[in-house]
Amino acid sequence: MRCGLPHSWPWADSVPAVDIHNVSQTFGHGELAVQALKPTSLAVEAGELVALLGPSGSGKSTLLLAISLIQPPTTGRIVIDGQTLYDEGPTGVDVRAFRRRNIGFIFQQHNLIPFLTALENVALMLQINGVSRRESTRRAKDLLGTLEIGHRAHSLPAQLSGGEQQRVAIGRALANEPVLILADEPTAALDTQRGTRVMTMLRQIARERRSAVIAVTHDHRMIEGFDTVYHLEDGRLARVDHHEQVDEAATA
Amino acid sequence: MELALKDIRRHLGKFLATIAGVAMLLAIVLVMNGIYQGNIEDGVWLIDNTGTDLWVVERGRGGPFNEASRIPLDSYKSIAATPGVARASPLALYTAQREINGRDQQFTVIGYDIFGGAAGKTGEIGNGGPGRIVQGRSITAPHYEMVADRKLGLQIGDRVPLGTDHYNVVGITSGAVDSGGNPLIYLALADAQKVQFEQDKRAISAAAAANLQRLDKAGYSPEQAARLLPLLASGTNNINAVLVTLAPGADGSAVAAHIRDWLYFNVYTTTEERNLMLEGKLSRMSAVLGLFRTLLILVSIVIIALIVYVLTIEKIRSIATLKLIGAPNGLIVRLIMTQSMLLTLASFALAYALRDLIAPGFPRTLAFVAPQTALTFAVMLVGGVLASLMAVWHALRTPAQLALGG
Repeated sequence: MRCGLPHSWPWADSVPAVDIHNVSQTFGHGELAVQALKPTSLAVEAGELVALLGPSGSGKSTLLLAISLIQPPTTGRIVIDGQTLYDEGPTGVDVRAFRRRNIGFIFQQHNLIPFLTALENVALMLQINGVSRRESTRRAKDLLGTLEIGHRAHSLPAQLSGGEQQRVAIGRALANEPVLILADEPTAALDTQRGTRVMTMLRQIARERRSAVIAVTHDHRMIEGFDTVYHLEDGRLARVDHHEQVDEAATA
Repeated sequence: MELALKDIRRHLGKFLATIAGVAMLLAIVLVMNGIYQGNIEDGVWLIDNTGTDLWVVERGRGGPFNEASRIPLDSYKSIAATPGVARASPLALYTAQREINGRDQQFTVIGYDIFGGAAGKTGEIGNGGPGRIVQGRSITAPHYEMVADRKLGLQIGDRVPLGTDHYNVVGITSGAVDSGGNPLIYLALADAQKVQFEQDKRAISAAAAANLQRLDKAGYSPEQAARLLPLLASGTNNINAVLVTLAPGADGSAVAAHIRDWLYFNVYTTTEERNLMLEGKLSRMSAVLGLFRTLLILVSIVIIALIVYVLTIEKIRSIATLKLIGAPNGLIVRLIMTQSMLLTLASFALAYALRDLIAPGFPRTLAFVAPQTALTFAVMLVGGVLASLMAVWHALRTPAQLALGG
């Protein structure tokens, strides 16, 4: 099943930021083999927010790991920003370096480095991409300001609330202006108010910076914030809702 | 960004406490090194200090340090008459325990001929006289003077009761100890013999009465018994060894053979005496200390390895996150290696300082040998590096997806 944007979508004619074709994931061999993800295809445009929705074991995290090539798929092709990272096997691209430059991650538990301040956590992402200390600090400060958390720049993660930590994590994910942001349950650890605020910010900044966002979630409260929702069931893509349908589903 | 230093800064108290703990353990290792070497140096110091060429002891004995050796005092004169002998000095030594400065203290008494024996000069090396005098002088008067090691807590001018007499402290030594680390007291030979053999008056009277009774039973008249009595009194004219200085150009082995064959004594060169000490009395203690030291080093390495490993495990989720966001391996390796090396180096530096702090008040001689300290440092450093490599290996094997786990 291949899913893409409806023709009414404003970026429908552009080249997708992420193009996943027939990606599947099988764990184990022979009789013990389990196909956790059946051949799945999807495309995500720059600035588009996509949710992978489904119950536990539906294959959404497996798909996320496959897209980031943290756990390469068994079959399929993965193209991000026009670069083929995987085509029925590794293509020789330095995946870790690619991730460093082009992909931002947001985690359920924020996963900030506990001994670095909010500012240092964001600046680290820039510094590992070769940005100088001074420039990375300046840009990290700007980003935290945009995320309305500039006043907590010198606080350690443990001194921040869950919502503030998640905004710092978003700042880190956006710091290198990635093509793609992968989020794993980004609002699961937050209450509705904080979760909504975080999603609003993520959507706004992703749109401004033209970053595609793919988020794994089973938080139905947040799906109205997404442009497209892919419903996964038993390792396969069962249904796709585009923004009008998403709004309807959220209203319902 | 130097992640290791940032981490240390955030957990400074914990890191310093860890360093303090490891440093104390390493300080024990260094002190053990000192005890090990000190044991050997103490053991042979007395032998080396005499500076003699030959040691003459009782026939068939390995004395005077490893085994009791008793020879008649006058025998040193016969030894002095041996061809090739420049000087022969009698030496007495024994362990004693007395109350000194208000507490029971064990020490070894060295009785030497302050006049240099059958030939020679007063107080010179070769007659078994004191070395390492740091205050006062050597013994010059034939009686009632002593030189004592500072471990006994005595001062120049103190009067120390030994047996029935008091002895004036005229010299203080530092580090003059026997093979067991006990401080030495030097006395003139006659004084040393008196302290060793003199009985109190009650015991002397009892012995005399018993002897008179035996002579009476044997049929001696009271006059005859009175004349014979001094001959039956226990002898106090024994010594433990004779120190021989060879005449210039004399063949030591020929002199030794002569003394062995004609005077019926055992003779050892200083090297042989040292070997007797090292292979006999000191060997077991050295083996125990050596084993203990090796075990301590191994324990220290294991503890450092565990600490480095735990420091890494504590950060494993952060490491997984770093891997996931694409941080290069070098950053992770540097994080672990820097902390591990800082821990090892800072601990060793503190241990070194602690060792120097402990040494002056330590009850035994601590002898620190630079190559041994360097070797310990190298072993600890290698241990630290191996522990780091183990932690690095673990960190690099950590799957990035661990960061995604709830």
